[in-house]
Amino acid sequence: MTTQQSNDTEQQAEKLRELFADAPEPVRTALENAIPDMQTRGSAPPLESAGRIGKRQGKVSELTMIAPVAPDATKRLRTLLEMLGGNFDGAEKVGTVHDMRFVFLDNDTKLLFATAYDGDWDDYISDFATKIPDLMDIVFSAIQGWPGIRDPSIKDFLVKYQIPADAWYVANPDLTVVETRRLQRVGKALDEFLDKIG
Amino acid sequence: MSLLGRSGGGPRRSAVGVELDDIQATVLRYRPEPYYGTHVMLHVDEAAAGRELLRRLAPYIDSAADWWQAGNAWTAVAISYPGLVSLGVPEDSLESFPETFRQGMAARSDALGDTGPNDPKRWDAPFGTGQIHIQLSIFSDDRAKWHRAMETARQQYQGLSGTAVLTIQDFGAQPGDRNPLGYKDLIGQPAIEGSGVEPLPGQGRPIKAGEFILGYPGEAGVPLLMPQPEVLGRNGTFVGVRKYQSRVGAFNRFLQANGQTEQERELLAAKLVGRWRSGAPLTLAPGQDDPGLGQDPQRNDDFTYAEDTHGRRVPFGAHMRRMNPRDTALAQLADVNLHRIIRRSTTYGVPYDAAALTEHDDESPHGIYFIFLGARAMDTIEFLQREWINNGNFMTLGDERDPVIGLQDEAGIFTIPEEPVRRRIHGLETFNVLRGGEYLFMPSLSALNWLAELSG
Repeated sequence: MTTQQSNDTEQQAEKLRELFADAPEPVRTALENAIPDMQTRGSAPPLESAGRIGKRQGKVSELTMIAPVAPDATKRLRTLLEMLGGNFDGAEKVGTVHDMRFVFLDNDTKLLFATAYDGDWDDYISDFATKIPDLMDIVFSAIQGWPGIRDPSIKDFLVKYQIPADAWYVANPDLTVVETRRLQRVGKALDEFLDKIG
Repeated sequence: MSLLGRSGGGPRRSAVGVELDDIQATVLRYRPEPYYGTHVMLHVDEAAAGRELLRRLAPYIDSAADWWQAGNAWTAVAISYPGLVSLGVPEDSLESFPETFRQGMAARSDALGDTGPNDPKRWDAPFGTGQIHIQLSIFSDDRAKWHRAMETARQQYQGLSGTAVLTIQDFGAQPGDRNPLGYKDLIGQPAIEGSGVEPLPGQGRPIKAGEFILGYPGEAGVPLLMPQPEVLGRNGTFVGVRKYQSRVGAFNRFLQANGQTEQERELLAAKLVGRWRSGAPLTLAPGQDDPGLGQDPQRNDDFTYAEDTHGRRVPFGAHMRRMNPRDTALAQLADVNLHRIIRRSTTYGVPYDAAALTEHDDESPHGIYFIFLGARAMDTIEFLQREWINNGNFMTLGDERDPVIGLQDEAGIFTIPEEPVRRRIHGLETFNVLRGGEYLFMPSLSALNWLAELSG
């Protein structure tokens, strides 16, 4: 650690002590215990912007949306999602989506949609409009005012409801969905090879 | 690329579905063979003078009517966002332009991955300074006609008080029309629906006109958002210019280091692009060059990757396969018809020299003014830069980058699928360094008149 970095971490520790000055005593003790660990820099890549909105660490970005639900759409979407049972063939094909979460909030009047995905925010939205428009419209028409995935203003519509995360952590920031699939194939092939010569 | 095939007559005509006589010629007319021309970058100090300049130029800006017929030299005009501001375009109209265009290419360097040696801070003046307001481009298939068209253009802008010439760059006149690294280029343009000409063999189904010309339905079935009022946006398109310096020495050194014989080096050069330098595609000529095939527009793009699913002819990372994957099974969902651009590249400087091996050769001024057009040109180039040029994920190539126009770090790798195991070449350098760039708007002829007649 250079002198400059040492000064920086010392300043950060001081700032934390000030921030937590009003916290209950056990919390302040916990902070003092944790500060030495917090001062050793991990190897995580820095947080970057995921393009127009959202955060990205390494190659993986976050998206959180909270949007009002269209009248009567809750039951439709909830039943559809139950029937799919986690089997999203469209997302599978997209090849950049790590996970998706749908949560109805506030007495089913709002929909929370959260996903971890590879790359930048709007790179593939136009591709969705020509390659999987029906899947997109069936699911997201649950949002009040959904203009349709083909609408030229769709990106502005989505941005309106997206809330950028304050914090974002990815365990394997360099592992895209595609790379993970490749490593699985390589691992399997290697095991088969070792089985043959072993 | 010429439309006039060696094995055919003129181009086969089809129905016209766009207003050719209002669209600028360059949007549809292919770069001629041979080609000569000039780019003139202009600055507007006073709105009235800028509008006077457009008024004078307007009669000499060519439309795309009968674009398929070889003809006289033609002149094109495009305007940057600062240019529109300096011409006094009303505020509500300025605000109707896409945000990326308004920011300009230099300000979009993060989105484009233009960092390190490609950083706008290192660009040649006047690129990226906001000074470039108007770009005039003259194209011709004949030296004398080029000079005449250039003289006509010069008479319009020369000495016009309130405007200034920033740079003049001649291009073309290359032996065999080769690009700075010695390849025949610009094969394989997208076919455009309603443009009046049947696709060439292998060109694929025509793509909806709205992807390339504002005001028409695009691939999603609806027109893209376009600048307002309609007279300003309709029949116009967006243009990107990227000025590359070709590091010919580095390229030749790379071939020398990785190929023992002339034959090996030429095959490696072909693997990087997917075509032999003659233009013959490796899909159709996998073992050795076929210059006759390379020359023939009826045949040199007539292939798919159906017989090359393992990339043993054209590597997945080859420039041509990255920029137009055709029927390649991609690891990420993408519509290959949405990321096509019209290319009008123009080579400048001394012709390619296979014997140039020094670092001095890397800096001698020669390269490409890469010019691309499309109704969403900014989105397209930013997508290509991020996803298909400086990334390998879509082809399951990890961090590998485009071997020709990618920005390489020290660990640059190029994978060549072979039997029994792939060959990986390490130490790929950045062969084309970015030295400038602008986003421009290419107005229709009626929009040009609208701009010239603005008041205030």
